[in-house]
Amino acid sequence: MEDQELLFKIRNPETLSYGFNLLVRAYQQRVYWHVRKMVIDHDDADDLTQEVFIKVHKHIGSFREDSQLFTWIYRIATNECLTFLNKKRRRFFLPLEDVGKELSAKLDTSSDISGEDIQIKLQKVLLKLPDKQRLVFNMKYFDELSYEDMSAITKTSVGALKASYHHAVKKVEDYLTQ
Amino acid sequence: MKKLEDISKKNIFEVPDGYFEKLPGIIQARVAKPQPTPWFVPTLKFALPIFAILVVGIFWYSSQSQNTIEEQLAAIQTEQLVAYLDDATLNFDDLTESVTWSEDDLNELEEKVFSSFEVSETDLDLLLEEFSTENF
Repeated sequence: MEDQELLFKIRNPETLSYGFNLLVRAYQQRVYWHVRKMVIDHDDADDLTQEVFIKVHKHIGSFREDSQLFTWIYRIATNECLTFLNKKRRRFFLPLEDVGKELSAKLDTSSDISGEDIQIKLQKVLLKLPDKQRLVFNMKYFDELSYEDMSAITKTSVGALKASYHHAVKKVEDYLTQ
Repeated sequence: MKKLEDISKKNIFEVPDGYFEKLPGIIQARVAKPQPTPWFVPTLKFALPIFAILVVGIFWYSSQSQNTIEEQLAAIQTEQLVAYLDDATLNFDDLTESVTWSEDDLNELEEKVFSSFEVSETDLDLLLEEFSTENF
C-alpha cells in the first residue's frame, strides 16, 4: 500500500486504528532490524521498536509530507537508538569502549545470534566505531540506502555521509585484518 | 588486507518465532491504552475550587472590616439609638468623662448656662430683699 493511502487512512478517525496497524506491518521489520543492529540485544530492540511506533502514532498528525514516510520513521528510530545508547553509557558511567565490549560479549553469548565467524567478527569490529559512524555504515552497507535518503534521515550532507562511510569502511577493513 | 566484499551480507540476528506476527497487536494495545494522567491533575481538581473559595472569602472579609465605626453608627436608625439610650444605665458623669471637650465647646456651654441666670434689675432687688428679710 502506498504511503499516501496509509496516511489517508490514519488521518481519518474512523480508519485510524486500521491504518496504523497497516503502517506497523509495513515498517516493523525495517525498523526492528535497523534498531537491532545498533543495540544487538533482542529485548532492547523489541522495547525500542515499540517506542518508535508509539512515537509515530503520537506525532503522525504533525508529519509534513515534505519527506518520505519511511525516512521520517527511520529518523525516529535512529534517534531512539542513539538516546538509548547514551543513556546506557550515562547510567553505568561507561566509556564508549566499555559499552562496545558489553554488546560485543552479547554477540558471543546470545542464543538468538547465528552466523559464520567472520560475520560475527564484522559485528564486533563495528562495535568499535562511534555510534553515529556505525549508524552510517549500517544504513549504507546492510540496508543499502541511498546517500540522499541517509541525508534526509540524519539531516547531514551527502558529502559528509560519503566521507564518514568511506572512513568507516577503511577502519573496519583494518580491524578485520588485525 | 581483508576486504568487505569478501564477507557475505548475512543477517546474523534472529527473533523468536512469530515475533513479527505478534508485534503489531502489542503496539496496537499499547497505543489504545489511555495515557496515565500526570500526578498533579487530580490534586488541582480539588485544590483549585478550595483556593477560589479562600480568595473570595478573604476578599469579602477584608471589604467588610473596612467600614468605619461612623459608617456603622450612621446605619443605625435614630429611634433605635434613643430606645437604647433610654434603657442604658449611663449616668451623666460617665457621659461627660467619655467626651473630650474643646475650648469652643466649653465656652458655648458656659454661655448657655449663665444665660439662664440672667436676672433683671427688678428681680434682683426683689430677690435680695427676700433674702435679707429671711436670713438677716
